[in-house]
Amino acid sequence: MLARLIRRRWPLPVLAVLVLAAIVGVAVVAGGDDGEQLVIYNGRSHYGDEQVFLDFEEETGIEVVLRGGTAPELYERLRREGEDTPADVLVTTDLANLWRAEEEGLLQPTTSSTLEANVPAELHDPDGYWWAVSTRLRVPVVSTERVEPGAVTSYEDLGDPRFAGRTCLRTSNSEYNQSLVADMIAKRGPDATEELLRSWMANDPEIVGSDGEMLAVMAAGDCDVGLSNHYYLARALEEDPDFPVAPAWPDQDGAGAHANVSGAGVVRWSDQSEAATRLIEYLTSPPAQELIVARGEFAANPEVPPAEQIRDWADVETDPIDVEAAGPLLADAVALMLEVGWR
Amino acid sequence: MALTRTAPEGGAAPDTAPDPGSGSGSRRRRRGPPGWALVGALVALVVVGPLLALPASFVGEGAAFDEIARTLLPDALRTSILLALGVGAGTLVVGGGLALLVSFWDFPGRKVLDWALILPMAMPGYVLAFVVLGQYGLASPLQSNLFGDGLRIPGVRSPVGAIAILVGVLYPYVYVLGRSAFLGQSRQSLEAARCLGRTYGQAVRQVALPLARPALAAGVALAVMEALADFGTVNLLGVQALTSAIYRVWYGAFDQAAALQLATVLVGLALTLVTIERLLRGRARYQQNLSRGDAVAPRRLHGWRAVLAAALPTALLLVVFVVPVVQLVAWSVETVAEGTVAPSLWRAARTTLLLGVATAAVAVVTATIVVYGQRSTPSRPGRVLARVATVGYSVPGTVVAVAVFVPLVWIDRRVVDLSASWLDRDIELLFTGTLLGLIVAYLVRFHALAYFSVESRMGRISPSLDDAARALGADRTRVLTEVHLPLLRTGIVTAALLVGVEVMKELPATALLRPLGGDTLAITVWEATKDSRLDTAALPALLIVGVSLVPVILLVRLMRSEGWTGAADRI
Repeated sequence: MLARLIRRRWPLPVLAVLVLAAIVGVAVVAGGDDGEQLVIYNGRSHYGDEQVFLDFEEETGIEVVLRGGTAPELYERLRREGEDTPADVLVTTDLANLWRAEEEGLLQPTTSSTLEANVPAELHDPDGYWWAVSTRLRVPVVSTERVEPGAVTSYEDLGDPRFAGRTCLRTSNSEYNQSLVADMIAKRGPDATEELLRSWMANDPEIVGSDGEMLAVMAAGDCDVGLSNHYYLARALEEDPDFPVAPAWPDQDGAGAHANVSGAGVVRWSDQSEAATRLIEYLTSPPAQELIVARGEFAANPEVPPAEQIRDWADVETDPIDVEAAGPLLADAVALMLEVGWR
Repeated sequence: MALTRTAPEGGAAPDTAPDPGSGSGSRRRRRGPPGWALVGALVALVVVGPLLALPASFVGEGAAFDEIARTLLPDALRTSILLALGVGAGTLVVGGGLALLVSFWDFPGRKVLDWALILPMAMPGYVLAFVVLGQYGLASPLQSNLFGDGLRIPGVRSPVGAIAILVGVLYPYVYVLGRSAFLGQSRQSLEAARCLGRTYGQAVRQVALPLARPALAAGVALAVMEALADFGTVNLLGVQALTSAIYRVWYGAFDQAAALQLATVLVGLALTLVTIERLLRGRARYQQNLSRGDAVAPRRLHGWRAVLAAALPTALLLVVFVVPVVQLVAWSVETVAEGTVAPSLWRAARTTLLLGVATAAVAVVTATIVVYGQRSTPSRPGRVLARVATVGYSVPGTVVAVAVFVPLVWIDRRVVDLSASWLDRDIELLFTGTLLGLIVAYLVRFHALAYFSVESRMGRISPSLDDAARALGADRTRVLTEVHLPLLRTGIVTAALLVGVEVMKELPATALLRPLGGDTLAITVWEATKDSRLDTAALPALLIVGVSLVPVILLVRLMRSEGWTGAADRI
């Protein structure tokens, strides 16, 4: 059939144009009205959060299409696609990328009485560009076998010479580390932060790929002091109550532990802002928050208590990231981390 | 699995077959319309075009480079060069040594090892890396590892660790090419050396080894290119090579211009290595085409030597293939038993298969068009273009991804605008972040695999067949569809298979361009390992290894039926 077509002297370029036209045609037809369908660029897609979206679908009848990736990837994708993006809601694992998206004009403000009731004022943008879903503490963690309790009480201790060769860090590529450093620059100033990071590097930390891997490395005995998001440790402890790593809450007499925020915002070009708002309302409502909290994070909604295994951690003194101040410093943070040699 | 870069210059096809462009028939053919050549050239341009965007990154907003040159580049460049040197030396010693051992000495288990030593080719570096990491520092959820807490490998998260892992999966390139070169050597040259008073070992070292040098160099070059292109392994091990630096600049600092500049450096490094290898090899080509009876009869080893000769390769195979596969099976079984299989696994498997099949189909078509355009209307520019289009294969996937992204976004914008103004409809982006965009990237990278497979087959078809068909009144298109295509079947199947499998394990380009929500198996593995979810990563990793075994097994079968030289032509 194809051979016959070709033999009929249909020049190949014509065939190629026809094929391309067919593809465009399909895209035109398929790209039409989506109806009640929400496309979520979801940085939280990894293992466990899907259920929340399925529940939303069931409850509202609004179809949810999840498109997963890391938070920076999603932000970059959204930025590139601009007004052509299919996305309605951006969900990220950290505030940095939400802030970037707002700054770049990729989000639209939304608010509702439900949202205002679900999320305390300090956990959402004053204009409603983003809303927190959960908070996450980025804190020093120590081996319970090789570090005596109380030896680590601050972020500075990661640079203590007595831990030389005994620390481990995730790469400077991690958005959590970038947010932490940007927040430090905002609160301590660039010079103090550089000095702090240089002291961390002076201890020649082992650089690992993920927080989970860091905990595994610590449990295996290859590193004594690390820096991790608290819920990774919560999950490890849930699996194994004797897991030999403990949190070392920093600056409890001072500022407190750095708290980052995972949150969501409605994409500027979404023509479904009403449904999108409903989704964010749902994400911050108790049923969804309970599922999120079950995986060790702290709820954005103050009505939802921490999960059983980390209930003791609820009174930790926390220092929420100063978004408006830290956001503009993200680029500086990345540059500084490179400058001091943080791989 | 890759096509040997020796094919275009040293391989059988262009040199042994009469050039269809020369001889009596050529003048008549040349007078015809340049249709096919034009289409072929166009296709070649499409395949190689995006790469032209790379050097352009230094023009215009090139200011970024100063910053990179000061911070990221020195370390990344040093690491990449270190990886290249280490993997080069490692694969030469391991792959070359094993080829020597199996070719010239006989010991218990030799027959099995002869083919089994190729198997690690099916293991992507990132899979071996995560199994090693899993066995090394184990997260508590997984207590099923084979070693308990016993195995300690210090410094696995370092360039040295990355080199060790890459050597483990890349040495088969050197092994296969070396083995085929040794087998191609005649018994007489060894015997001549012995007559001159050399011991067997000396004769092997002083005669057989130098003769195999070009083949070993070609194998090492392949392994080094793969090492430079590696992304998953270095990322998992936290080693900052150029590939990971590119990803980091793009998605960490959101600086695509800087990513393109780093990519240009990486391509420069890769092309430099290819050139060096070409220069070193010069015109040398390994001898082959000896009748089988002439091959060297391996000498029997006895006592502890025999034990050692059998034990060392076996141990290697255990470490880099058998144990990891068993470990993957163990993790997978556990995952299935616990019912914690990633819910998106089957979707990912489907996407992967779709991408593999689609890209293979497209690549076979582009390759056939380019090859046939060259054959029906040979021209120097056409030939150069066809060769240049194969460059994509020596360009790492990370680089292809950044290079392809620029024109695709441009085209997408145009299409969307046109659709809005002409049809008054909003359409979704066609290429940016879609499977189509990925297929374009794969095509740029893997077109060469299909091209070499089809080209080598086409070279075996006598031009007199074309002449006969033309004399009977068939036009060029009919010659292609009715004469060539049936004869090209084996080449086309090989091409499709090579491309399909490469696509299915491809990680870096997929990671950068993946359609959101349409993850592949490789991405599933990568995402899960980044989060240290080894249990989640195991099953998709096992599927990837299983799929990759297909061409390796075909290679083994080929080597049994056609002898090693035939097999080596196909790598």
